[in-house]
Amino acid sequence: MTPAISLTGVGRRYGDHEALAEFTAEIATPSIVGLLGRNGAGKSTLLRILAGQEFATSGRVAVFGAGPPVSDAVLRRMVLIREDQVYPDLQVRQLVAAAAMFYPNWDAGLADSLLEAYELPARRRVKKLSRGMRTALGIVIGLAARAEITLFDEPYAGLDALARQLFYDQLLADYTAHPRCIVLSTHLIDEAAELLERILVLDHGRLVLDAATDDVRGHASVVTGPAASVDRFVADRATLSRRTLGAQATVMMTGRLDGRDRDLAGQLHLRLEPVTLQQLAIHAAGLRDNRSLADARTV
Amino acid sequence: MRPAPIVNVVRYLLLDKITYLALPWAWAAFGFLIDVVVLQLTPAGHQGGHRWVAGLAPVFIFAFVQGTQTVARALPFGLALGASRRTYYLGAASLAAALGASFGLLVALGQIAERATGGWGMNMAYFRVPYLLSGSWYQSWLTAAVAFVLLFAYGTWYGLVYRRGGMVGTVIFGGAQVAVLALAAVLTTWAHDWAGLGRFLTAITAAGLTAILAAGAAVLLTGGLATIRRLTV
Repeated sequence: MTPAISLTGVGRRYGDHEALAEFTAEIATPSIVGLLGRNGAGKSTLLRILAGQEFATSGRVAVFGAGPPVSDAVLRRMVLIREDQVYPDLQVRQLVAAAAMFYPNWDAGLADSLLEAYELPARRRVKKLSRGMRTALGIVIGLAARAEITLFDEPYAGLDALARQLFYDQLLADYTAHPRCIVLSTHLIDEAAELLERILVLDHGRLVLDAATDDVRGHASVVTGPAASVDRFVADRATLSRRTLGAQATVMMTGRLDGRDRDLAGQLHLRLEPVTLQQLAIHAAGLRDNRSLADARTV
Repeated sequence: MRPAPIVNVVRYLLLDKITYLALPWAWAAFGFLIDVVVLQLTPAGHQGGHRWVAGLAPVFIFAFVQGTQTVARALPFGLALGASRRTYYLGAASLAAALGASFGLLVALGQIAERATGGWGMNMAYFRVPYLLSGSWYQSWLTAAVAFVLLFAYGTWYGLVYRRGGMVGTVIFGGAQVAVLALAAVLTTWAHDWAGLGRFLTAITAAGLTAILAAGAAVLLTGGLATIRRLTV
């Protein structure tokens, strides 16, 4: 099967700064992929390259099996909603009408219902919108476009928790009804974790973790308790980090736990907690060495 | 059947009716009123000739502004909606051609009305410009349309250069044009051919000048298309 997106050794330099380096990944459709990483990790650069708004300085980008997305035939099958999207000074309804012109699968009913749900005033000019309202406008366009590749770059800026939940719910419902390739870059990893089928963690422009979320979930645990007991429990296991506070120790370890492990932990008075996606992403970014984490996961 | 992508770009740009449809004509109407008031308050010459007012100049200036706005304000969202750079540019150029043709038609019709009313009863030459827009209606239509497109394309190219090169790039771009003009002046001086240039400019017909403007517009449009190909947003 041809992947919707294929990136091979993709890099982007801005003078001395390497925003993206040797990025290689394939993204199939349908899927919801999370692009995770700190500020400046290269997430936005990657999404802009994917949407044809930026050019890679090295490597190969292929969308729908063709070359870089520069033709209308490919671009009309994609949408990128950016946190810093610059809009012309038009009314909300005019911007929505503009989007409807370009996307063949545009769902006007969904757009109307989302405009209502986010309480966006149709006749208000975009420069009079609050930050959260501008963000919501991007979400409306991104979802109603029903583009085969939908890219969201930090789509929550300025949204409150209720509005974010509305976005998650709507995204999942729409994806279920119309499966497609959705790539979502976010800082709010745990909040979006339930949506994601796969995560790509970037750090300093490099891919440091590429894993299915089901594989990652439950694969790592945090063990807390008396230092000696913790050391005994994690002996012969791959560990990702260790912190001590007085006689207490906290170790992040990989490997699935079975009943005997849990019994042993109980006997040793240890607390076991699953590592969240966010903790894992932060740790992966901290490692800056893909092999370290990959090696740890194979233990 | 869905419209062609270029048509979509034109429709998208025309959503901003104030910039593309209302303001140029508002400027033209405002200029007309100002000129009428000024001519009413100032005595007419004894020769009874045309009273030239150059009231159309703001419309041409606004064509340049429209060109810059087409890139500065509308381009990023246009590309976000999946228009390719080439399609966006061709759409903008098509809009410029349509607006130019409409503007030229207005000028031609205005000239007919102006001649029929004796310059609006006061010998005013608002729609006529000596030498440039004073011939037949179709020649005036063509010259006005081409001049409009040229200024729109010039503004668009400036906008694109600004997006690609920032303020420094724009200053270099403007400076390079001044340098080319200065070089041409130096070469003309070395060749002792200022008199020849003068003869050329006085001998050229309005149709010839229109052809030169059209060639200039073609150069600007080609330059803009080349500039947008590697534009990032």
